[in-house]
Amino acid sequence: MIVFTNLLIIALIVGYAGWQLTKTFKRAKKGKCAACAYDCVLKKAAASRSDSAKI
Amino acid sequence: MEIALIGNPNTGKTTLFNNLTDSYATVGNWPGVTVNPKAGRLKGTATDLIDLPGVYALTPLTKDEEVVTLYLLDHCPDLILNVTNAGQLKRNLLLTLEVREFGQPMILDLNMMDEAAQQGQHFDLAALSQALGCPVVTTNARTRRGLAQLQAQLQAHPQPLAPLKLTYPPQVEQALQQATQALTNDYHVPAPLARWLSLQYMNQNQVVRRAAAFRNLQPLLEQRATYDAQHFEEQIFNTRLAFIEKILAHGQQAPATRAATTVSHRFDQLLTGPWLGLPCFILIFWLIFKLAFDWVGTPLSDGLDALLSGPVAANVNHWLTLLGALPPLRSLVVNGLLAGVGGVLVFLPQIITLFACIAILEDSGYMARAALVMDRLMQIIGLNGKAFIPLLIGFGCNVTGIMAARTVEQPQARLVTTLLTPFMSCSARLPVYSLIVAAFFPHHQAAVVLSIYFLGIGIALLAAKGYQWYFHTTESAALIIELPNYHRPRWDIIWHSTWDKSKGFLHKAGTVIFAGTVLIWALTSFGPTGFVTDPTQSFAAGLGKLSAPCFAPLGFDHWQIITALFTGILAKEVITASMMVMFHATNQTVLIGALSNYLTPGAAYALLAFILLYAPCFATLGTIKQETGSTKWMLWSLVSSLAIAYLVAGLINLGSHWL
Repeated sequence: MIVFTNLLIIALIVGYAGWQLTKTFKRAKKGKCAACAYDCVLKKAAASRSDSAKI
Repeated sequence: MEIALIGNPNTGKTTLFNNLTDSYATVGNWPGVTVNPKAGRLKGTATDLIDLPGVYALTPLTKDEEVVTLYLLDHCPDLILNVTNAGQLKRNLLLTLEVREFGQPMILDLNMMDEAAQQGQHFDLAALSQALGCPVVTTNARTRRGLAQLQAQLQAHPQPLAPLKLTYPPQVEQALQQATQALTNDYHVPAPLARWLSLQYMNQNQVVRRAAAFRNLQPLLEQRATYDAQHFEEQIFNTRLAFIEKILAHGQQAPATRAATTVSHRFDQLLTGPWLGLPCFILIFWLIFKLAFDWVGTPLSDGLDALLSGPVAANVNHWLTLLGALPPLRSLVVNGLLAGVGGVLVFLPQIITLFACIAILEDSGYMARAALVMDRLMQIIGLNGKAFIPLLIGFGCNVTGIMAARTVEQPQARLVTTLLTPFMSCSARLPVYSLIVAAFFPHHQAAVVLSIYFLGIGIALLAAKGYQWYFHTTESAALIIELPNYHRPRWDIIWHSTWDKSKGFLHKAGTVIFAGTVLIWALTSFGPTGFVTDPTQSFAAGLGKLSAPCFAPLGFDHWQIITALFTGILAKEVITASMMVMFHATNQTVLIGALSNYLTPGAAYALLAFILLYAPCFATLGTIKQETGSTKWMLWSLVSSLAIAYLVAGLINLGSHWL
């Protein structure tokens, strides 16, 4: 039981680290760093500079 | 309901935004602080407040300026709050007229009234309101004066306003009427919007011209050559200027005599002078590093290190043993997470001190001067001081620095600024600098770190010269920058700015640094034979030893150091965490002792230079790709920085043998 609990905790820690690494790579592709506080929605608004839809 | 904050750069929009909402956005009295629009909720209401980048006109010159025109077209806010610098009203009103012509409900805010009063300027608000056809309020966002009245006006339901109609010269008016009528009849564009679009089209607004081409608005497209040939944009500008002069003649009481030389002017003679400007800049940054590394940061950091590696580590280990944790789990938590993540967190005092000092410089008005001082140097290499602003921002984080390069007008200069920003020493590199200077240069920590920062600037200048040669750049645009008056920093702004940036560091500790630490722990604990107790048999050792011959000419060929450099591409802070884990160091002192065995001071300085230059982190590479729209430039940045780092570190190591 103790071995199982130990393995479970190690798996959780390693799993969380793996998830964070994947997230880091995904965010980096979009040009964001782990400390980046930019709002995604607003960034999308800024990126939609190619043409205007309203007129 | 949505309210948009629109105004010239440096009119206090973001300070106003922070006061009117519960959110916090970075404040700085230098251009480029707001590159993307920011949204917040007006206090006590369901109204959204949007802080847009500062622009002098709706005719965009840069990418960030395009955001404002696009925002107006796409979102059409319910109310516009036009924030102006009351002391510079004549220039600010040029944008006001364009916004009033747009026709959405608008409130004109004369902000920075204290500076206007110091200049002896007084305003007849009723006359201004009547001439512009919109409510006019006065505020002083820094001291929060007038904010309650402004908030009350913003909460009231906005009254519809007729668009301002200036009388342009007959030629322009005739063309305007024809275009408006055709757009209204044939394209069903509402008449006020049609007039505004036509006017902006004639005024060579590139966003509107692109939109007209996209929508195939023939009445405008067909007349483009005529509008340009007859210089309609000049006639429009002159009409607006004449209107502003007329209304200010009635609505403003200018000072009878020129104000005496202000304190700001006297400071500027010293801080931005041709001879003392640069030495003062260096001195200011040396003092900051003295504070961060010698006087305040390091003593606090040592205390934190003693706490984490002493009682905290001992207690965690004790409790884990009591709870039945097996050696691998204890190793992961104590030798991995606590040593690695904790080993980075102990440098928080240095980072906080540095961020606080930079926030003070920003809020006091010095940062705009720093760009001016650097302009002289930048002109020599074909860039202007405006390009230095993204580089300055890059000292905080390369990602935001590259994003700030949008403020640079010329595409080539923008690309060069983007490629140079990774050479700026971002705050993520501070923990590893702190560690190495404490180990090898304990009595000259501030001077050594300062020299590394200036090495980054020097390499960036040289690289810029190379790009100038490659692109055959012969001209550089003049720097136009507004110098705000110096003022005493506001502590709440300093606190917010410092906390905002430090929060980013703490967030990284819980995410990418944590992940990097676990990764390096796994690489150090496992080898081809499985779980290993001898780290020299691990995967990490294998990786480091394989690359060691390449690093031998640089003076550092020990596998722990080399493998740590590989992890730095995740985030530069991970280098320190990796060293802590791989050297099995329980605290800073142990790691410093271990490093001293493997490096000479010359090699240590070469290592510092290599860490400064060798490769941007993943996030920076992603941003370069996004901003340049090219994988080629991203790869170029990676390869060129690696080559430069190798060359510079090799030369430093070689030079250290001769000294």
